[in-house]
Amino acid sequence: MIRLLLTLALITPLSGCVLLDAYLMTKYDPNEYKLITDIRSQAHKYKEECPNAEQSKTNAKHIQGQTELFMMYSEHIPRNKDVQAASNELNEIAKDLNDRYNKAPVSVIFCKLKFDNIENSAKRMQSIIGSRPR
Amino acid sequence: MSVEQHQHSLLECLASGDPIIVNAAQQANELTEMMKRGELNKDEFMGLMNDIGRQANIDSHINNFEAKQKLNVAINGLINIASLI
Repeated sequence: MIRLLLTLALITPLSGCVLLDAYLMTKYDPNEYKLITDIRSQAHKYKEECPNAEQSKTNAKHIQGQTELFMMYSEHIPRNKDVQAASNELNEIAKDLNDRYNKAPVSVIFCKLKFDNIENSAKRMQSIIGSRPR
Repeated sequence: MSVEQHQHSLLECLASGDPIIVNAAQQANELTEMMKRGELNKDEFMGLMNDIGRQANIDSHINNFEAKQKLNVAINGLINIASLI
């Protein structure tokens, strides 16, 4: 097996570390999958509630709590740096919306576009988290 | 450079063929049009433009992950074949 890995390391343009990362890939984690699915589903629902400013402020706070939880959950999972990095970006998108609601009223269209961004990013991340090796 | 000149650059990006760049350029162009129509204020526009960069980063991390995933499948497939020989 080691000989095979060494051969693959020589014939692929990837570095040894990337090859090892790929070989020892983190397995499917149902908790991680549930967290990102919740974020996607909530963003989808919250988008429709944007005309209600008070409710949307609460929703923005809640979804940022979820993206932060997901970021922290991913943080110490070994060989998971791509999802860790993506979860940081997702949290920044949600944090920006929550921060704005804390400062001043937010327009309905901005609220919808922000929840759209969260939903689309979560959907993309959900697809790779769900396809982790079992 | 004017807004229109930057928008022209965005339209050129649509021909890049890279889905991350094409998607980002499309979104940036749509947001610029919304700002011009007064549907978004300056701060909201800037916040959403920053999101385009963040989403492009997410896509880039996802692409890395997918490449490793393919390699994982190939390595384990070869190991399985080797173990049968």
